[in-house]
Amino acid sequence: MSKRSTPTEGNGVPPAAGQSPATELQRSEFVVRKERLYGWLIASCAVLTILVTVGIIAALSGKAIVFWTEISPVTFFTGTEWSPIINNAYGVLPLVSGTLIVTLCSALIALPIGLAAAIYLSEYASERARSVLKPALEILAGVPTVIYGYMALVYITPLFQGVLPLSVQLVPPSIPLVPEFTLTVPALQTFNVLSASIVVGIMIIPMVSSISEDALRAVPDSLRQAGYGLGSTKFDVSTKIVVPAATSGIVASYVLAISRAIGETMAVTMAMGMSPQMPHFPNVLDNLAVSSQTITAAMVQIAGADSLGHGPTYEAMFALGLTLFCITLSMNMMAELIRRHFREVYE
Amino acid sequence: MASGGASVDRLHGSTDVRLERLKGRLFEIALVAATLVGIVSLVVLFGYIAFDTFQPLTASIQWYLIYIGTLVTPTAAFTLYARRHPPIREANAKAFAVIGGALLVSLVTYIVADALDPYDVLLYVLFGAIPPAVIGAYARRSPDRTYTGPAVVVSTLVGIALAAGLYGVLRPIVGIIAQWVAYVGIVTLPVGAIVAQSVSRRWSLRRAALAVALVLVGTLAVAVGALVAGIEPSLPVVLFSGAVVPIGYVVGDTVANEPEGRIGVLGPFVLIGSVALGAFIERSVGVQGPESYLTPSLLLNSWHGRNAFEAGIYPQLVGSIVIVGFMSLLAFPVAIGAAVYLEEYVSDSGWRGRLATLLEVNISNLAGVPSVVYGLLGLALFRNTLGFGTGVVIAAAGTLGFLILPIVIVSAQEALRSVPDSLRQAAYGMGASRWQTLRTVVIPEAFPGILTGTILALARAIGETAPLVIIAVATTTYTSPDGLFSTAAALPLQIFAARSHPDPAFRHGIVPATAVVLLILMLMMNTTAILLRNRYDRDTHE
Repeated sequence: MSKRSTPTEGNGVPPAAGQSPATELQRSEFVVRKERLYGWLIASCAVLTILVTVGIIAALSGKAIVFWTEISPVTFFTGTEWSPIINNAYGVLPLVSGTLIVTLCSALIALPIGLAAAIYLSEYASERARSVLKPALEILAGVPTVIYGYMALVYITPLFQGVLPLSVQLVPPSIPLVPEFTLTVPALQTFNVLSASIVVGIMIIPMVSSISEDALRAVPDSLRQAGYGLGSTKFDVSTKIVVPAATSGIVASYVLAISRAIGETMAVTMAMGMSPQMPHFPNVLDNLAVSSQTITAAMVQIAGADSLGHGPTYEAMFALGLTLFCITLSMNMMAELIRRHFREVYE
Repeated sequence: MASGGASVDRLHGSTDVRLERLKGRLFEIALVAATLVGIVSLVVLFGYIAFDTFQPLTASIQWYLIYIGTLVTPTAAFTLYARRHPPIREANAKAFAVIGGALLVSLVTYIVADALDPYDVLLYVLFGAIPPAVIGAYARRSPDRTYTGPAVVVSTLVGIALAAGLYGVLRPIVGIIAQWVAYVGIVTLPVGAIVAQSVSRRWSLRRAALAVALVLVGTLAVAVGALVAGIEPSLPVVLFSGAVVPIGYVVGDTVANEPEGRIGVLGPFVLIGSVALGAFIERSVGVQGPESYLTPSLLLNSWHGRNAFEAGIYPQLVGSIVIVGFMSLLAFPVAIGAAVYLEEYVSDSGWRGRLATLLEVNISNLAGVPSVVYGLLGLALFRNTLGFGTGVVIAAAGTLGFLILPIVIVSAQEALRSVPDSLRQAAYGMGASRWQTLRTVVIPEAFPGILTGTILALARAIGETAPLVIIAVATTTYTSPDGLFSTAAALPLQIFAARSHPDPAFRHGIVPATAVVLLILMLMMNTTAILLRNRYDRDTHE
C-alpha cells in the first residue's frame, strides 16, 4: 500500500533555473520534491501507528501459537488450574474468574457513582462547581496505578481488617421454626480482592463520568424544556428524559470502563496477590476476602520470574496477552458500535 | 396574578408536591455525594501517604509555631495582597514560573548530563548543533533559502552520526578539558544563544553581544570562584547559567518595564527567604522537627535494602527522567507527524479517505489497549527481535513511547483542529506551499496545545509500571543509567518492588516517600501543562 500524499501545488514542468518569483508561478523542481518528501515523511508517521497494531498482533500471536502447539488450546481455555511454574498447569479459567470478579466488583462501585457524577455535572452543578469538580474527578484516573495498588495493600486492607470478620444475624433467633440465618463477612487476607476492587473502582470512575457527561450534555436542551413545560420536576427530567436519551453514550462509557478495569495491572497485582482461585460457591463473599489472581497479574508474575526467554511459561505470557488484547479490543469496538448505532439523533 | 398566585400556593401546599420536592432534594444530595465520594477517598488515601511520609506528629509544637511565624504568615499575607492587584499577581506568577522552571530545568539537565557523562553529551551537542547553526546563520544572509530547511535537518543528523563514528577518536580529546568546561558547553552556550536571540530581537545586536559577554564572564567568574573556594565548579556553573541568568533576565525585565506589577516579583523571594529564616531559627533554637522520610538523603542516595535511613532513590529518579525524556524524543515527532497527516493531509474521499478512517479507528483502539500488552510488544520487539539487553533505557523508552503515541496524537489533532482555517487560507493565498504553511503558520499556532497534551502524556508515562515490569526493567539498581543501552531503574518500579518490605520503616516510610516524589513529579508536569494552556488560551482570546 502506498500512502503518499502529494502536495497539490507546484506539480508540473520544472521551471528554468534562476526563476524570479514575480513572473514564474511554477515552483522549482527541488521545492516540489521537498514537498513530496515531507509529505512522505508525515504519512509514514501516520502509518507507523498501524505498524504498532500489526506489531502487537504479530508479537502476541507469534508466541501464542507456539504456546498452543505445546499446550492445546482446549486445555488452556477449559483448565481449572493455573500453576505454570510449579505444576505446569495452564488452565486459564481461574485467572478469568479472578479478572471477572474484580471487574464486577469495581463496576458495582464505579458505574453507579460515575453515572451519578455525570448527571450532577451535566444537569445540576453550577458552572463554577463544574469547573472545580470535573478536573478533580479526572485526577482519579491520573494517579499512577502502582500508587493505587500500594494504597490498597497498605491502607485499605488494614482498614477493613479492623472491622471484619462481621456476622450479621438477618433473622432474630427468637423467631421459632425459621432456621438461623447469619450473613457472615469473612476476615480479609493480606492480599484480597475487595481492596483491589475498591481502588480499581475509584480509578475508573472518571472514565464513566466524563464520557457519560459528554453524552448527557449532547442531549438537546429542547427536550428538557419540553419536559419542564409539561410540569416535570428536575428529577423527572433528569432521570426520565435526559438519561434515557443518552443511553447509548452511557452504555458505551460503561463498556470502556469495564474494558479498562479488565486491563488494569499494577493495582490488582499488588493488592490481590498471586494465588489463582476458582470462584467460591455458595459463600460468594469469600471470593472478596481471599487472594486471587487476574490475567494481567499472572503476566506480571511470569515476567518477574527469572529463567526467561523461552519455554511454555514464557510463551504462556503471550497467550494471556493475546487473550487480554482480544477481550479489550472487542469491548472497545463494541463501545464504539453502541455509540454509533444506538445513538438517538435529534433534529 | 392573584388567582394564579393562589393556585400556585395550593399547588405548593399539597403533600404530593412536597414529596416530589423532597425526592428531588434527596436525589441531588445523592448525586453530590456520588461525585464527591471518589475525590474524598482519594484525598484521604493521599492523607495517609503524606502522614507516613512526613510524620507530622513527631514535630514539636514550637517547630510548628516557628514556621507559622516565619513561613505561613508572610507568604499568606503576600499572596492575599497580590491577589487583590492583577498586575502584581501576574508578575508574581511569572516570577514563580521562571524561578521554578529555570531551577528545575537546570537541575534536570545537570542530573541527566552527570548520569550520561557530560563529555559524551557535550560531544553530541556540539556536533548536532554547530552545523545547523552555521547553515542557519549563512541562510540569513543569502536570498535563496530553498535548501535551508532540509540542510539544517541533514546537517544535524550528519553531525550526530559523525560524532558517533568518530567517538573513539574524539572522546579522549574532549576528555582533556575540565568537567565544568563541558557543562559550559552544554548549558551556558545554549542559554547564551537564547539570550542573544531574545535581546537582538527586542533591542539591537550590540546589546545582544554585550549580554552574551556578560553571561560568559559571569559563568567564568562563578567557575573561578568555585575553584578558589575548593568546590567542584560544575553544579555552580550549571545553576548560574541555567537558572540565575534566565531568572535575572525575566525578573529584571519585569522590574524595569512593568512598574505596576513590580512588587509581584518579590513573591518567590519572600517564600525562599522565609523558609531560610525558619530553618535558621530552627537550627539556632534547636527544636524538634518532623522525622520526615522525604529527606535529601532519600533523593541523593542509592537504594539500600536493609537500612531505611540510608535508602535513597537517586538512580530510580534519574532512570525515570532519562527514560521519559528519551521517550518524548522518540514519540513527540512521530505523534506530531501522524496528527498533521490526519488533520492536514488526508482527503475525505477515495482510498485516502478510507485510509484516514482506518487510521482514526486504529488510533482509538490503540488508546484502549492495556498497558501490559505494550510491555509484551516491547519485549518481543526490543529484546527478541532487535536483541537489545534486558531492561535497557532505549527499550523502556520505546515501549512507553508506543504506549503514549495514541494519546499524544489525539491531543495534537485537537490542537491542530483549533487553528482557524482562515490562517491556512491566508498562507496559501500568499503563495506558501503546504509544507511552508504547516511550518510557519499551523504548527507554531498549534504548538502550545500540542505541548500541553504531550506533557500530560509524559506525566502518565512516568507513573506507568506494568510495561516496564514486562520488559524486565530492573526493579532495583544502585547506579544511574549511563547511556541508552545501560540498564535503568524507575521510580514506580521501586514502589512495586518494596511494597511488602518486612521492615515497617520501608513499608510505611520509604515507599510512601517514593510515592510522594513520583506524585510531585507528576504534579509539576501537570502544572506546567495547565500554565501553558492558560497562557495559550489567553493569547488566542486577545
